[in-house]
Amino acid sequence: MNPPAVPETGNLPASLRDPSTLFFQYDSVRRSIIAAYWVAILLATPLWWYTTSIERLPLPISQASQEISRPLQLPVNVCLQESKPIFAPLLQVSLDRFTSSRILEGVQIHITGSAKCETTSSGNSYIVKPGQTKLISGRALEFPMRDARSVEDLTSTLVNLIVPHLAHNDKSNRAVQFASRYRLAFSLLNEDASSGSGVMGWNVEHALTRYITPILDRVSHLHNFTIESQVQFHAPLAFDVQRLGNGEHSLSYEDLTVFVNSAEWTLSSSFSNEPVIHLVAFVPSSDHSPLRILEADGTISNSNAFILPQWGGIVLYNPSEGETSKQLSSRGFQDVFGSFANQLLSLLGVPNLPAEIQRDPRDRNTISDWQLDALLRRRTLEAVAGTKETLGSFIKLVDQIDNMPIGPSVRDDVQVALSSLNKVYDLASTSLFQTFTSSASAFDSSSRAFFNPGMLALLYFPAEHKYAVYTPLFATSMIPLAIAALREFKIWKQQRKQTNNG
Amino acid sequence: MLLFPFLHLLALLFVPLTAFAAGHGFAPGQEEKVKRFFNKNGGSTSKHTNNWAVLVCTSRYWFNYRHMSNALGMYRTVKRLGIPDSNIILMLADDVSCNARNKFPGSVFANPDRALDLYGENIEVDYRGYEVTVENFIRVLTGRMDPSVPRSKRLLTDEHSNVFVFMTGHGGNEFLKFQDNEEISAHDLADAFEQMYQKKRYNELFFMTDTCQAVTLHSKIYSPNILAVGSAQLGQNSYSHSNDDDIGVAVIDGFTHHTLQFMEGVNKTSQHSMKDFFESMDPEKIKSNPGVRSDLFGRPLEDALITDFFGGVAQVEVVERVGGEYDEEVEVVEKKARKETPGVSAREVEVVDDHGSDGWKKVRMWGVVGVLVSLCCWSTL
Repeated sequence: MNPPAVPETGNLPASLRDPSTLFFQYDSVRRSIIAAYWVAILLATPLWWYTTSIERLPLPISQASQEISRPLQLPVNVCLQESKPIFAPLLQVSLDRFTSSRILEGVQIHITGSAKCETTSSGNSYIVKPGQTKLISGRALEFPMRDARSVEDLTSTLVNLIVPHLAHNDKSNRAVQFASRYRLAFSLLNEDASSGSGVMGWNVEHALTRYITPILDRVSHLHNFTIESQVQFHAPLAFDVQRLGNGEHSLSYEDLTVFVNSAEWTLSSSFSNEPVIHLVAFVPSSDHSPLRILEADGTISNSNAFILPQWGGIVLYNPSEGETSKQLSSRGFQDVFGSFANQLLSLLGVPNLPAEIQRDPRDRNTISDWQLDALLRRRTLEAVAGTKETLGSFIKLVDQIDNMPIGPSVRDDVQVALSSLNKVYDLASTSLFQTFTSSASAFDSSSRAFFNPGMLALLYFPAEHKYAVYTPLFATSMIPLAIAALREFKIWKQQRKQTNNG
Repeated sequence: MLLFPFLHLLALLFVPLTAFAAGHGFAPGQEEKVKRFFNKNGGSTSKHTNNWAVLVCTSRYWFNYRHMSNALGMYRTVKRLGIPDSNIILMLADDVSCNARNKFPGSVFANPDRALDLYGENIEVDYRGYEVTVENFIRVLTGRMDPSVPRSKRLLTDEHSNVFVFMTGHGGNEFLKFQDNEEISAHDLADAFEQMYQKKRYNELFFMTDTCQAVTLHSKIYSPNILAVGSAQLGQNSYSHSNDDDIGVAVIDGFTHHTLQFMEGVNKTSQHSMKDFFESMDPEKIKSNPGVRSDLFGRPLEDALITDFFGGVAQVEVVERVGGEYDEEVEVVEKKARKETPGVSAREVEVVDDHGSDGWKKVRMWGVVGVLVSLCCWSTL
């Protein structure tokens, strides 16, 4: 820290200096070494900043909030065939009452009265014709219109047909969550095949063609299906079956809730990620045969099947005494696959027709057009609501959690979701099927954006952790550098002062 | 020349102080409390249709035997009560059953009487060994997975799922250590749960931790419908319960031991409520004070059944034989008593998990400051 010695100007010429004060290092070399460090640090700083900062691309937030707050109305046109427009205005008033009570949120039903209604094939328009009984064929409904009172009746019939899930305020969780692909796992489980009463095999392909394929074909616009089947010869129950007085065995309701012995039954392979719908036929061992379901009051139920909501369906199959074949008999097929078909329909969310409605015998589809449209409408509304929720919470989370990265693929997915959602609003009045397709793609994209693996927020570290990590590293290297620079600066300043003075 | 070291010293002193201030969170304001209250979903029974469990043992190495058996004990219980393996995510270092020091190869016992082998049959460990990381755990919760990850490693829950999350290991004030390598903080957990809530990945969530100062882990949670219980209060250790002389290490922690013992009296159709469970906890026996956090939970604890979180399905609908009227909903009604008397441990040994006690932290902090100050003085001279 000694200041540079001032040359003695006694008996020496001014150009010569005292050797003891000589410093054999060029100032310029020393300074450029120190400067080199600083240049390296300054140049590295942007790189360090870039590599440690989190990529957060801007999201179209204003567009998203606009799309989210936009209400969706699926228009439905009903043409009431009548010679004079008497009932049509009454019907519209009666339906509007439903709409205003917010029961039918998302659906707008328009009634037109006309002497000659055009037949249409679009899922948005229906025809109501006068007839003897309530009968549906295609997208037409025959309805006995007599007086003003039948307007009320027609209103509720229409609502039940067009939006059954809203009309019943269906809060049950029976139907599986929407997915574009499902796996159907058909299992034939013998409780104990060695006990003598087992069913060793089933001609499952034949049964599938007959009972299941017609359903799958009808809903092929909504879902793709993969089918797998298996037969198991030992599938024990995890509880004791009650024995009744007449030699039959019974399952109480609480037994049903724990019926699936997940620890010991292997019900589906887990090679892919699509959701599974389980359909299980259970053959009790001869010790537990016949196996019945008990009603709450203790009487034996007529039913032999039950549904576990969103999981699948189970059918109890008791082989009759006379059955000698080890294969599933034709009675068995009807019993088991008839129930499977029913269970599958309700698990997929296909609404039931109201009890008083008859179907045209010429219509050979398992699911009528009215039902399929209602299902499409329900799934569309669900998908749109799901998309809005996902996008809304996505934006909220991004705002809330600062160190959550947003990469280009996330941004693209959000944009695709928004444009699909936009398409849903545009298409709503033209085609129900296309509306549904767009809504499904919007939901897929928004979920994909949410579940993007790159979106994982970096871990939270309290400030004291950060200081604890950075201080030992940077303080030790920066302090000598800073001090050296400071010292050099001081020397330079002093030298300048001297030159100025000298 | 003297000014610079002085400033530097001042800066160094200031750093830990600000860090201290940042480390302490603020209590939620009154307004938020009110908002939370109105956001709660009413209803007396659970509306879930499926149950999931995430069981995490964050320790590895032989001397952490007890954490492995904590997780395996929970695994056995949820499986016994009806959650299928496909719905259980088990994260386990899994290095004790086949450890060279294990006198009973292929077995894990949680009790010195060795009546029940927890590793006995059909154990499906989903994340094993070095796969048990903070990142994987958060990916499991949030569902942010690579598309190639198999179904068995995913938490495929939806808005109708009740999720049980159990964590055990070595922890401290607002953190839990993962395999001596990294740690998860209470903030990370709270954010992960919030992301689950936002994507409707649970109907209700039960979060249970057995670690030192466990209640601090759930202190930062802010998402609704979460019920949390931790084995020890802030500043308290969670002690092990019993030692096995042949195995040579502690085999289970007190809190988990108590929980499992209580669960042995529960079966698939039991009507025990969460309240019964919490009331059964005896700080004398556990040697710490378990803390329950129920302010975010939307139902009274006496209505929440243990089987809502530890059980299998709760709803069944019987279908008509012909046609399609499905309207019967079955509620689990009757109480079926099954008595199992698990063996009581012979001897109780304390193992102290000493992480992050406050005094030690202060000593360390001032130590760092001292080192830095002397360093800075040395370099300026």
